[in-house]
Amino acid sequence: MPSNAPNSSGLQRLIAQLAPLLIVCALMFALPVLLNNDFLLNKVARYLVLGILTISLGLSWGFGGILNLGQAMSFGLGSYAMAMALKLKTVPVHTGASGLPDFMVWNNVQHLPWFWEPFRSLSFAIAAGLLVPALVAAGLGWFMFRGRVTGVYVSIITLATMVVINLVIIDQQSYTGGFNGITDLAQLELFGIAFDAYGRATYYLVAGCVLLSLLVAFAFTKSRAGLIVQAIRDHESRVRYFGYDVALYQIFVFALSAAIAGLAGMLYTVVMEFASPTFLGVQLSLSVVVWCAVGGRQSLVGAFLGAVLVAGMQGALSESAAFLETWTLVMGALFVLVVLFLPKGLAGLAQSTWRWVAQRRQAAGSAVARGVSQTEGST
Amino acid sequence: MSSHLDLRDVSVSFNGFKALNSLNMSVRKGELRCLIGPNGAGKTTALDIICGKVKPSAGTVSFDGTALQDLEEYEIARAGVGRKFQVPSVFRELSVSDNLEVARARRTSVLGNLHWNIGNAGRDDIERLAELVGLTEQLDRPAAYLSHGQTQWLEIGMLVAQDAELILMDEPTAGMTAQETRKTAELFVRLKGKHTLIVVEHDMGFVKAIGDIISVMHMGQMLAEGTAAEVEAHPEVRRAYLGSGGISHA
Repeated sequence: MPSNAPNSSGLQRLIAQLAPLLIVCALMFALPVLLNNDFLLNKVARYLVLGILTISLGLSWGFGGILNLGQAMSFGLGSYAMAMALKLKTVPVHTGASGLPDFMVWNNVQHLPWFWEPFRSLSFAIAAGLLVPALVAAGLGWFMFRGRVTGVYVSIITLATMVVINLVIIDQQSYTGGFNGITDLAQLELFGIAFDAYGRATYYLVAGCVLLSLLVAFAFTKSRAGLIVQAIRDHESRVRYFGYDVALYQIFVFALSAAIAGLAGMLYTVVMEFASPTFLGVQLSLSVVVWCAVGGRQSLVGAFLGAVLVAGMQGALSESAAFLETWTLVMGALFVLVVLFLPKGLAGLAQSTWRWVAQRRQAAGSAVARGVSQTEGST
Repeated sequence: MSSHLDLRDVSVSFNGFKALNSLNMSVRKGELRCLIGPNGAGKTTALDIICGKVKPSAGTVSFDGTALQDLEEYEIARAGVGRKFQVPSVFRELSVSDNLEVARARRTSVLGNLHWNIGNAGRDDIERLAELVGLTEQLDRPAAYLSHGQTQWLEIGMLVAQDAELILMDEPTAGMTAQETRKTAELFVRLKGKHTLIVVEHDMGFVKAIGDIISVMHMGQMLAEGTAAEVEAHPEVRRAYLGSGGISHA
């Protein structure tokens, strides 16, 4: 690999790796200037949030080798944390004197349950939206990774856990709104700014969180701990015999990934103006895997773009009359094609194209030089 | 003659098959011990017991007074035991320099490793290691692109990077050319003294080139111990190897 000059410092390489991330984020922040349509902007914000969710999966799957099929569980928990806080902000305006959210009144609940109480504080809700998913993941990870569960069994356990939590939420209608979820929410207000789902403030809030998530995930993957996590992905037991407690590293990356998914969930509630059991449903959870694979699971920016592009396409297809019935088929075909021909996703394709162009340019340059030295005209 | 590593009456059975049957072995600090024996004698299992990959059903393993048999693998590694596997085990998707970086396990906690390595601290160390194992040209390439011999060297380099007091090598020269084998022998001789080494090998030329004391195992037990000349003259060793043309062809 002559592309790496021996004196290229680590810092230079780091800047080169950050460049695609910063370019994508610059485009994202510039979009509202070009797109003067609040409805479309809200849609894009939705895809960006799904992008954050996919970044979180890329972190655990692409870098940690942990294929979490229940990634939407963390997403859903974050989403409900935000919805509970925003729901309580509507009381008693929407529900009268009893001081209860409307669905509790319909379900004959007399008092606000104890676990709803702290959600009167928005800061508690935000902390819970990050920490509850992280702690649940850490607990689950403790059992799985201490017990040296790996590969497909991790996927089965995470998927099953998500389904269980989903069923509990649907079942406990009087405390969770059940199948309908939590609707009719107040607007999020932070630092005196009201975040209307269709406003620019919300778009910029989401974009800021995308940048934050990308940077946090990037910083982790470039840290020494991130390197060890990747080593564990390649050869778990080899890492163990160097004295690293492999389970702790797996638990850490699993919990970090869950916290980022929780952040995405909170934002989703703000953008969608409700929380629903479908947010921690199997369909969404598996879609995230497809987005991540299409974008490139070993690239954070790739995973993010995969989600935005494919989810955007999904949205467009499912709305057009021609594909109303068949868009899932199109998605399935896309996934199969990517798995067969682009194991590293779009990010891998971009990388190899970039390398090819660089080589072509180099070859052309040396050909020209040769032509000049021979004083022959070259075409 | 204080013993550094001590295996006492260690037994292991796999589904009724006794891989180790009351094995006793002690190794002094700084020694380079070769472990030989016919196939199925339990050499690899003996290394597995020391590094914690396999737990003994009976017996004790003590290393500088620490009882290893009750510890987890990573705890044994932290106590100063490094292991090279028979099948070369490296991180295939990581670059050679990242492989060596992971092996330089100075700090092992998650939170202690949440920092960046921008200043290239330790880069000199890694370049020196790469030179030692002849992989300077390959530093930035993924380990997946290395040849078999180079992969063996990389793992040996990783063990040097780990800087363990006791290094266990399972057939380190398998798949190497004669020249590579000679280089490996030179490296091992250089490592001994500073580190204690236990090397499982089949190549008698290699064993004679590096070994002080040779331990011969047979059917999960220690059959004989001594210099190359002593074990070759040992009547029971000759009997154990009967039919394979003597120990030189083992």
